Amino acid sequence: MQTFTYLRPETLEEALALLAEREGAVPVAGATDVWVGVQAKKLAPGALVSLRRVAGLRGIREGEGGLVLGATTTHAEIEDSAAVRERFPALHRACSAVGSRQVRNVGTVGGNLCNAAPSADSAVPLLLYDAVCVARGPRGERSFPVEELFLGPGKNALAAGELLTEIRVPAPAPGTHGDYWKLTRRKAVELPILGVGALVTLDGEGTVRQARIALGVAGPTPLRAREAEALLEGRPLTRESVGEAADAAARGAQVRDSWRGQAWYRREMIRVLIPRVLERAGALAG
Amino acid sequence: MDEIIRFTVNGEAAAVRARPEWSLLRLLRDEVGLTGAKEGCGAGECGACTVLVDGAAVNSCLFPALEAEGKEVVTIEGLAGPGGKPHPLQEAFVRHGAVQCGFCTPGMVLSAKALLDRVPEPSEEEVRTALAGNLCRCTGYNQILEAVGAASRQLRGEEGSHV
Repeated sequence: MQTFTYLRPETLEEALALLAEREGAVPVAGATDVWVGVQAKKLAPGALVSLRRVAGLRGIREGEGGLVLGATTTHAEIEDSAAVRERFPALHRACSAVGSRQVRNVGTVGGNLCNAAPSADSAVPLLLYDAVCVARGPRGERSFPVEELFLGPGKNALAAGELLTEIRVPAPAPGTHGDYWKLTRRKAVELPILGVGALVTLDGEGTVRQARIALGVAGPTPLRAREAEALLEGRPLTRESVGEAADAAARGAQVRDSWRGQAWYRREMIRVLIPRVLERAGALAG
Repeated sequence: MDEIIRFTVNGEAAAVRARPEWSLLRLLRDEVGLTGAKEGCGAGECGACTVLVDGAAVNSCLFPALEAEGKEVVTIEGLAGPGGKPHPLQEAFVRHGAVQCGFCTPGMVLSAKALLDRVPEPSEEEVRTALAGNLCRCTGYNQILEAVGAASRQLRGEEGSHV
């Protein structure tokens, strides 16, 4: 078996220094993706820099303005958080659906995002909630919308030696309803065939002030269906308007055939699931 | 290059030589000699390798051995009480026919233990979710669910309950 150095820095500065000075060093948190990649010989790192012990990188900080998720916060911590469940139900649903409890106990939301799979469960709700990534690297700190993290399948926008440190999730406005639907063949331990997220903010008359629709496994990256969002905004939320938006999202999706499902099926299920997600979120009467 | 990993296994201090590319599963089976945890898939998908690390169920096949430093690890061998008295979960699994070939059993029992330690009175849904990462090819799961329910009642000391 291929060997490598496994390093366990305890501060962010140490971690960044190790990544800067070691050729071929790969950052790792829960290791559920990286370790499998190494075993399957898809990854051959010279060194793994574990972020598990880095102070300040893990945990959920709650405030009136929203949440700050440390990058190495585990999916289990999110699953067990009443604050996330109540205030960010789509994120709660997504992280609770990752793998199995064993995977969620070590797998992290930062790792899920940085792995940049088009299927990343946590990515879809973070797109809905307009989350912002904070990264730190040799050139200092920067922040950017989570959407900009994903460049392509398995490719993230972090520079060499740069680490995702936290994800800031602003509190949804009052009157916001949203959820995430993970379409799978089995109930657990499965990547989605398709991930559908929808979030709407309604005013007192039921008019949509803001709409967000995000899809996983409908393109090379997790993405927002902006044409569909525009069809909902400024109008009352009805079966008709949602149907139009769902059609637009389905038409515009870059779905593919894969062994988990075919393109035509994914396209059809986008149309079916957008209304269902909004129903489940309590925005649309069943 | 080897490193000595210091951690606790089933309540006892251990100092074990480990290589960076080893998993905790390899460390436990081959270096510590605890073969209760099994390799079913090697990819974190079957749960046969489940052990508890600081009380949480993890797939030891994916858990880097070096990360065990300073942790409390519990394997199936550590479940029995003084004098080898079986844990209520172990008794319940036997009594309810929840063990056939036994390959999934250590992992299944530990996932159940991790749940009952956090949620002493779980709903069936909560049990199913907690055990979703442990595959069994023999039993069809019903006896396993019954056993976990029975053990949960036993642990809560419910009147008239017996495993």
